[in-house]
Amino acid sequence: MNRKIIELKSGIKAHFINTDKHKTDLTCIILTTPLKRENVTKNAIIPFLLRRGTEKLPNQYLINKEMENMYGAAFNLGIDKTGDNVVLKFYIETIANEYALYSEDILKMNIENILDIVFNPLKKDGMLKEEFLQIEKENLRKVINSKIDDKDSYAFERCISEMYKQEGFGLYKYGYIEDIDSLTIKDITEYYEWLVDNAKVDIFVSGKIDEDSLERLLLNNENIKKLNPREGYYIKNSQNIKSKDNIEEKEIFESMNVVQGKLVLGLNIGYEDENLQAIALVYNAILGDGANSMMFQNVREKAGLAYSSKSTFVKQKMNIFIRCGIQIDNYEKALNLIKVQLENIKNGEFTDEDIEVAKIYLISSIKNIEEEQDTEVVYYIGQELSGTNRSVEEYIERIQKVSKEDILALANEVTINTIYFLKN
Amino acid sequence: MQIIENKSINEKVYVEKLDNGLVVMIMPKKTRKKYIAWSANYGSIDNKFYAPGDESITIVPDGIAHYLEHKLFEQRDGTNSLDTLCALGVDANAYTTNDHTAYLYECTENFEEALVEFMDYVQNPYFTDENVEKERGIIGQEIMMYDDYPEWALYMNAMKAMYKENEINIDVAGTKETIAEIDKEKLYKIYNTFYVPENMIMVLAGDFEPEVTLEKIKENVIMKKEEGLPKRIYNEEPKEIVQKYVEKQMDISMPCVLIGFKDNNLKDDKVKKDIAVEIIGSILLSKSSKTFEELYESGKIFSEPSIQYEFSKTFAHVMIQFQSHEVNDVIEKIEENLNCLKNHGILDEDFARAKKKLYGELVKSYSEVSNVASATIADYFKGISSFEYINEFKNIDKTYVENVLQELFIEENKVISVIKPLTNN
Repeated sequence: MNRKIIELKSGIKAHFINTDKHKTDLTCIILTTPLKRENVTKNAIIPFLLRRGTEKLPNQYLINKEMENMYGAAFNLGIDKTGDNVVLKFYIETIANEYALYSEDILKMNIENILDIVFNPLKKDGMLKEEFLQIEKENLRKVINSKIDDKDSYAFERCISEMYKQEGFGLYKYGYIEDIDSLTIKDITEYYEWLVDNAKVDIFVSGKIDEDSLERLLLNNENIKKLNPREGYYIKNSQNIKSKDNIEEKEIFESMNVVQGKLVLGLNIGYEDENLQAIALVYNAILGDGANSMMFQNVREKAGLAYSSKSTFVKQKMNIFIRCGIQIDNYEKALNLIKVQLENIKNGEFTDEDIEVAKIYLISSIKNIEEEQDTEVVYYIGQELSGTNRSVEEYIERIQKVSKEDILALANEVTINTIYFLKN
Repeated sequence: MQIIENKSINEKVYVEKLDNGLVVMIMPKKTRKKYIAWSANYGSIDNKFYAPGDESITIVPDGIAHYLEHKLFEQRDGTNSLDTLCALGVDANAYTTNDHTAYLYECTENFEEALVEFMDYVQNPYFTDENVEKERGIIGQEIMMYDDYPEWALYMNAMKAMYKENEINIDVAGTKETIAEIDKEKLYKIYNTFYVPENMIMVLAGDFEPEVTLEKIKENVIMKKEEGLPKRIYNEEPKEIVQKYVEKQMDISMPCVLIGFKDNNLKDDKVKKDIAVEIIGSILLSKSSKTFEELYESGKIFSEPSIQYEFSKTFAHVMIQFQSHEVNDVIEKIEENLNCLKNHGILDEDFARAKKKLYGELVKSYSEVSNVASATIADYFKGISSFEYINEFKNIDKTYVENVLQELFIEENKVISVIKPLTNN
């Protein structure tokens, strides 16, 4: 086991991943809270403000100079929606200490800087800096507006928002234009302080590391000392799946100036089983994940209707999304062909070999998890937020156990919730 | 095998030229991953050539290199090697660039089983009227997908503005019209001419014992040594650019801009120049630069502009890219600070910091097996060994970078490509 988890304080955990496979060290701070309509835009603007300056490095140009001096450290931040929660991620990737040209302790600088950025932002009279706010509001506006730029992810996001109109998962993670104008520095500072006091905090460090000295480093860090113990409330993944009975199939059309149409089908899985996630993964691999899947073989290869033709399983909400890019006047043809695939899988028209191939495909991607630093961190965050603590080996075992009967039982509980089509 | 070592980044590459002329490079790395790519020096720019022994020139339709990439997976028994490889749990794929086409897979298990299938399909093309026809719809959809990518339109328009004749102005996938002309005879002609050992390279990176792996590769080699390589014909490119400004409207939220500088000095040391451009970019445009600060504080820019020196044997240019609602203001500011840098020179402190940053990025670029292998291939076909970057980096001095600044960023070689949001009439 190369992983060690330490509870620094209630609701605040450090996760150390000791690996010698990379030339880099990666640190990542994750703040998780339930996603709510009234907070989503405020939450989204927080990282924009935090990267503007810390008490030690009072503007972003100084932060960036510091990163360049740390051999071009990659400092980044992100907002992710996982199920009904929103996670704010802050990370710095640096080259491992052994590559330092002047024997600096780059990892220590990495950790101290990321903690400063998240927990010790530049303040004036107890408030985050007002003078940064106006520009960051405009920047957030640009980010929200840019969701139309990538048509594939836009269509995916739109289908989700149609399916989950009133829920956390249906919200756009960057928030809403109409909220921006009324945001004040006071609201945002209060929200930030609430976040620092209440969010579930996970700190990941991955690299060739010494866990004991890192634990001491964290416990002695002023920013960590200041943090209060907390409940760290969040909505456990797949805990908030509401009954999906009697949902009528919706068809949504939207027009933009596009050359290619984007078709997305949002499917519900209305079913409970202890091993449901693993079954759904195998089902999804047979349906549309990988070159041997029905979507790839029948919609792309045999019918030649699409170049991109796949399905994605979202475990947090137990949904599958079928996605393909098609010629706009092929809408009916593609939709019917996709429905035929769903019927076929229900009727058991797949072989034991198809199941085996799907499992091999899934297992090989699981085996890759430990080979990539960021993928490994993402995997363990997922485990953390599901309240499960499955090792990669256990995850593989669960996939192995899935039987044809399991897949058929699941297939017969799959229904189409929403059909979304982006056309011109 | 010959061993080339680079101590400063702690990497070794094992190199062997097989009897048939194929070069194999193996880079062992501490990971369970295994990555292999086999690449032919044939890309979208190679549309005119004399095949060995031919007296007449062959001219092929645009997009044929990419079409061949899609079709090579077909097997005589009706199976498709992509499916067969994926069924073994390996992640198989292929890609086409302007000067090469690569076939690859990555895995943690079943490497040897996959190697047999992999080397079989690359060495045994099987094209029929039917299987060639079937692909036209799929590639047509791929082309349409790219038509909706603003970054791609931005790039292609810049190439067309910069180059009148050079084949870099051809879209890698071709167009619906050009791919309509592709048939099995043309695909075989390309394959037989360019997919020959001496025109290919195989690169492996990951969990390998080089000598053992090399033997496995040798066992699966069928390709024979060829007499002579094709003679490629490229158009003569004038020094001048085609047009200074090009614009297109698409359904996007914010204008995308590319400023290009055409480089006519193709004989220069490209590695050195590439490093110099990286350093200039870092000083001129990075998040610690004066340009970025001024543009950010006035709300004109949000993300860091990117800079890249793109080159092959037949072309070279710099591309600066950014997004902004105030296109002209940003261009003016970049030019103002570029001129300032030209006139006053580079500060020692900035130069040292940029070098430090670049060193870190070079080290990081050796982390991921797929990046290492694809960069090695791209460099090889440009006549470069990837380790040269580490070596050249140490020697580069400020005077050289200042010279590049003076010679490369010239007004008369500059083009601007813009993609704007739709205006509602």
